[in-house]
Formats: sequence, structure tokens, C-alpha cells
Amino acid sequence: MLTRISAIALNTFREAIRHRILYLLLIFAVAMISFAQILSLLTVGSEEKIIKDFGLASIDVFGVLTAVFIGIGLVSREIEKRTVYTLLAKPIHRFEFVLGKYAGLSLTLLVNTTVMTAWFFLVLLIKGMFDARLGVAVLLLFFQFLLITALAVLFSCLSTPILASVMTLALYVIGHLLWSLDLLSARLSTEAGRILCRALYYVLPNLGNFDIKGEVVHGLTVAPGRLLWATLYLLLYGSAVLWTACAVFERKELQ
Amino acid sequence: MAPSLLRRGRSLMTLGALACLLLAVIVQGRIEGERRGGSVHPLLYLPSGKFLKVMALGFDGLLADVLYLWSIQYYGNYDIKDRFDYLERIYEQVITELDPHYLDPYLVGALIMTAEARKPEMALKLLDKGVRANPDQWIMPFEAGFLCYNDLHDYRRAAVYFEMAMRVPGVHPLVHRFQAEMYDRAGDKSTSLKEWLEIYKTTTDPYVRGVAWNHVHDLKVDVDLADLKDAVSRFRDKEERAPRRLQEIVASGLLQALPRDPENGDYLYDPWSGEVRYRGVPILGR
Repeated sequence: MLTRISAIALNTFREAIRHRILYLLLIFAVAMISFAQILSLLTVGSEEKIIKDFGLASIDVFGVLTAVFIGIGLVSREIEKRTVYTLLAKPIHRFEFVLGKYAGLSLTLLVNTTVMTAWFFLVLLIKGMFDARLGVAVLLLFFQFLLITALAVLFSCLSTPILASVMTLALYVIGHLLWSLDLLSARLSTEAGRILCRALYYVLPNLGNFDIKGEVVHGLTVAPGRLLWATLYLLLYGSAVLWTACAVFERKELQ
Repeated sequence: MAPSLLRRGRSLMTLGALACLLLAVIVQGRIEGERRGGSVHPLLYLPSGKFLKVMALGFDGLLADVLYLWSIQYYGNYDIKDRFDYLERIYEQVITELDPHYLDPYLVGALIMTAEARKPEMALKLLDKGVRANPDQWIMPFEAGFLCYNDLHDYRRAAVYFEMAMRVPGVHPLVHRFQAEMYDRAGDKSTSLKEWLEIYKTTTDPYVRGVAWNHVHDLKVDVDLADLKDAVSRFRDKEERAPRRLQEIVASGLLQALPRDPENGDYLYDPWSGEVRYRGVPILGR
């Protein structure tokens, strides 16, 4: 089973490379270096903080965009181009196909994030601003990409690429706004409303769990268990989403 | 279509595109002009920091950076006459709301409010917010104290801020000197003497030690003279005459012992006028 999944994963990775995804990295590198150079002309103090914020935000944005816009087409494009039929005619389970696709994009994201982080750290090293804790922030961002990829794959199994991208991006936005649901529930007067808010708060993907950019940039203390809990959350929530995607794809009528 | 016609058509299209772009640039220039002459302030619609924090989707730190960079350019532009109208909104309600741990907007914002807009109380409000959000940063209460000292000349308030900064671990030793000086300027010479004496005893820097000694010297003379004058006055009230010698005050129990001057000499006393003097010259001459 693992051989089949890894074969699909490698093919997905090759396809992503063929889609010139690495151009994004070039844009990132140029933007990062240029920004670091011109920043001293624009600011009074804060150069270190701004470069770190900009670097982490760039990794975040490029990673999320890659996860969403490649993830949404992973399954639906195969169906559209009818290449899925050739694949499924072979001794491959449908869930292996979905998991392979997910693993392939995760590998692409891993390469993407590693190269961007290397560029980012190189700039910081040259400027004498390197802080090893930034690596933890990047790792959590990568976990976020993995969860978004899982959501994109699920929506890719459910609907068309356009609708899937809208739904994935909507969940990305909601995932970062969940803390406001908590605030809202405190202000609601009805018990039912409060219960609904609390239920949504726990059921929807909480992407805030993977965001420690602010703490790391300011050198603030990050709770020791934060990385562990975030990893556990990714494993559980990500598995739930992926198994749902597999179940949906298993039931999908392919004609 | 003939190749020459095709080439001419392509050239015309390129020229047309360039002309359209040029026109768009001109129109943009007109729009900018209209905007500058408009009655609505461009910052009127800048949403509050609380709202922007929700909209930032986890990029609140980056958004604070962008607004801070913009504010530096905006407040450095002397052509904008009404640029201080929304100063408090920009720094207190937006940037520091987005990222409360971002120290530079507090410091630079307070500097602009004080030095440019001449609104030190507004600056103090911003720094107070910085103190509350960053209790581990001594620079915040230090800046607030410096503002009270330098701009408001409110030395007692300045001393309170410097004392607050002193409680933060890792505080720069300079703050202690400011604190001691503020007590002196506020008229509390005994506390100032106590602080300068502590600086004198604890510093390892010979220069600071020298400075501290100068303050200790003059403050000790001031405090001693004030104590002796007070004792002479109380003696006069009790005995209904001036003491003939200062030792009489000790004998009457109004003083436990006579203080010695910094050079370990006696203070001079004139029984006719009741005046107490220091035989030397103050080092700082204040």
C-alpha cells in the first residue's frame, strides 16, 4: 500500500514542479533580499522586527497559496482530464489515490518551505539577526499548510476547483477568526447562541494554533507544550479531514 | 493578411497600449490632485486597530509594520499641514492595538507627539499604554519619566516613572541617576541623597562614582543645614532664646548628635543671627 501511495505522491510532486511552482521561490528570494536592503531607508528602528515579520508572513502567504491553488485541483483535475480512470483501472484503492495526492503536495510544500526558510535564514544571518526560535514558528506554519492541504483535497473531492478554492480560502479565513467566536459567545444573551458559538469554535479548524509569529518575533515566551499540542491537533484534525476526503472519493460516481 | 500589414497592425497596437497607459497616468495624477484638495481627510476612514486585528488574519504584526513604515513617511512630510490631526489614532488606536509588544511605535509616536505636535500629555498616554502592555521593558517608563522631566518639568511624576523603570530587571544604571536627580529637583533632598549614596556605593564605574560623590557632597550639606536650621528653630521655640552653641541643641535632646560636613568638619553657627553655614563651597554650585 505504501509503495502505491508513494508512487502517486512522487508523481504529484513532479507535476507540481512541472507547473513551475518553484518560480514562487524565486519571487520570494528576490522580494526578501530586496526588502531587507531597502528597509533601512524607510524605517526608524525596528529593522529586525520588520524583516522577521515580513519573512514569516511571506512564507505563510506563499505556502497557503500553494496549498490552496494546487490542492483544489489535485483530484478534480484528474477527473476532468479523465486520467483518474487509467489510474484506478490499476490495482489501486481510491483512498490510496487520495492519500498519495495529499502526500505529493505535502512533499512539494516541504521543499517549498525549506527553500524559503533557507533564504530567510540566510538574509537574517547576513544581517546578524538570526534567531533559532524562528525555526519553530516556520515548523508550525508548515503544519498549517498541511491542514489547509487536507481541506483543499477534501473540497477537491467534493466539488469543482473554483468552488473548492472558495471553500478552502473561506475556511482559512474562518480558521484565523475563531477567537472572535469565543468573544461573540460571551456577548450573546441566549444560551442556544452561546452553545452554537462554542460548538463552532471547537468543530471548525483552528489555525490560530499554528501561529506563534508574534511571540517569536518579540522574543516572548511560548508555552512549552504549544508545539506538542499543535502537532497532536494537526494529526487528529488532519486525519479526520483526510479520511472524510477518502470516504467522499470512495462514494464518488466516476463515469 | 500581408506580413507588412500585420507588422504595422502590431506596431499600432503597441503604440495604442502605450498611449492608453500614458493617459491613465495623467488621469491618476488628476485623481491625486482632487483627493488632496478634497474636504475629507484621507485618514478618516482608517479602521480602528481592533477591527484591523480581526481583518489581519494572523498578520497583525506585519500590518503594524506596514502602518508604522507609512507613519514614518507621513509624519516626515512637512507639506501636509494637518498631519497631526489623527496622531493619537494612528499610534495609540491602530498600530499599538495591532501589535501591543511593538516598542518603536510607542517611542517614535511619543517623540512626534512631543517634539513635533507639542502634545506631551498625549505622548504620556501612549507611553502609559506601552508600560501596561510591556511591563518587562524598562525603556517605556524611562521614556515617560524623561518626558515628564524634560517637557512637563513635573519632577515628582518623573521620579515615579523612573522608580517604575528601576523595578524592571536588567534596567540600565543610568535610570537610577535620573531617579535620584528627580527627587532632588522635586525638593525631596533626603530621598535624593539616599539614592545618590546608593549609586556611589554600588557603582563600579569610576566616572559615575565621581558624579555620585559630587551629588552626595552637596545634598548632604543641604540636608544637614536644613536639619540644623530646623533644630535651631525648635530650640528657640522651646527655650525662648537662640542656642549659644550648636552643642546646646544636643544637650536639650532636640538632636541626637551634630552632623559633620562632608569633609568631616563642623558646621559654622552664628549665635547672634542664628544662622548655620557650611564652611566649604558646594561642588556642583546649585
